Amino acid sequence: MQGNKEYFQEHNLMWMNVLRRFIVICLAVSLSLTTVGCGGGKQASSGWSSDRTATPTVLSDGKYPVQQAQYNDANGEYTLFLLNSTPPTFATTKLQMARLTDDEIKQGQKTYLRVANSQPTLYLTEDFKIQYVHNVAETRTNPVNGQQETVVVRQESGFWSPFAGALAGQAIGSLLFRPQYYVPPAYQSGGFMTGYGGYGSSYDQAVSSYRSRYNEPPVAVRNQAIFRRTGSIRNFDNSTTQRANTGSRSTGSGFGSNTLNSSGRYNSVQRQSGRSFGSGRSPSMRRSYGGFGSRRR
Amino acid sequence: MRDTFNRMMGRTRYVVCRLFLHLSGSEVAPILGVLNSAARSAMDADGELDVLGEQLVKICESLLQLDEHWLSASNEGDIFWDEGEAGDYVNQLFTDSAQRYLSEPDFSSTNTVNEPLSIPITRNVVVMITVAYEGEVPELEADLSNIKVLKEGLKALINLHYKQKYRAIQVHFSPARLGDELTNDQLLQNFPELIPL
Repeated sequence: MQGNKEYFQEHNLMWMNVLRRFIVICLAVSLSLTTVGCGGGKQASSGWSSDRTATPTVLSDGKYPVQQAQYNDANGEYTLFLLNSTPPTFATTKLQMARLTDDEIKQGQKTYLRVANSQPTLYLTEDFKIQYVHNVAETRTNPVNGQQETVVVRQESGFWSPFAGALAGQAIGSLLFRPQYYVPPAYQSGGFMTGYGGYGSSYDQAVSSYRSRYNEPPVAVRNQAIFRRTGSIRNFDNSTTQRANTGSRSTGSGFGSNTLNSSGRYNSVQRQSGRSFGSGRSPSMRRSYGGFGSRRR
Repeated sequence: MRDTFNRMMGRTRYVVCRLFLHLSGSEVAPILGVLNSAARSAMDADGELDVLGEQLVKICESLLQLDEHWLSASNEGDIFWDEGEAGDYVNQLFTDSAQRYLSEPDFSSTNTVNEPLSIPITRNVVVMITVAYEGEVPELEADLSNIKVLKEGLKALINLHYKQKYRAIQVHFSPARLGDELTNDQLLQNFPELIPL
């Protein structure tokens, strides 16, 4: 009797689960259909713009001939201009590359992008040039808050051929035809670069292979992080045995790196009670919900 | 409901959290050495996140070793589905952490003549760790104001580095170095959210 009841409950639960999933899928499908329906026309009319959000980062599986490729070392992003694809641009930071074999080139194969399991791989001819956008950055002190900031002063443009030159005869020759991640070599002014700065079967491996070669991280990795520091480590050299005058506050130091993009909005982030967590005796960062001015507590 | 929907749409979940840990006792001052060497390594690497992660691991390990000196702690955090908002919050937390100590110390009017040969040893050290990561770590997204849970939280911070999920790392500490003091009054005044463990 008991077992029967349990079985019944379990059965009931399973049905609930199935029903729930079905509803979720139904909603998702109808939503995506309406989104595509509304968004399609707009995308076709706007053509391609430099706006990052307009460039899709997901392509359906298939093979796309590549007209032009661009690499931006500010964020390590590849932008590809594709044929047979709407919209014609595609942007990604994680792009595998491989050289076309000589046989394929003889058959008239041109540079193309293959997407399999939503993993893009770029197959390049030996002489294919990727346009390289180099961002000249300077560290400046922001006059408003006194923080050190990295500012892009100007952009230079060059070319990068990952597989050009004598590279094919080198030790990794057979590896060239296998898709791998590559990091461009250090930028040279005048701007024609051949070969690679680092390579590996994952992007992180490529970065660490670059690091062991040049003893510093690639520009794209360095440009992404914003480094801040405060206190006595800001001027470390002259911090001898001198003692600081302390009053209501003690001394202290801080450092931190942030690779998250800023939203660029001016208002401070509002915490929503549903999403935040913590020990929360009193929220240490008080935020007002609309309205401003001094207030008596 | 909104979380479930965002997860279903395959959006990235960003979590920003800050942890305060107050250590007390006569043997806690040596941790300042660990913290300062971490700061120096971070500076030498120009703030490269990977290096900062390594240093964070070292700091967390030293903190775990000093567990009998933990006196109070506090944590807070938020979950974001928008990278920009998460980035702004990280910046906001940096500024908030920095204003709890003298971030621009005034060395001007110290007299070096009558300086005693001994240096005072601080009995209080506060470490503030702020991180942003992708994904979900239940050990950190909770109330960490008891010793057992806090230990799990620090271990989770170490593991996150090896999972390469970090997007931002910040470490603040007060006092700055051996010889500087953080008094009980300064502690009460500038770290009101600390909860005794």
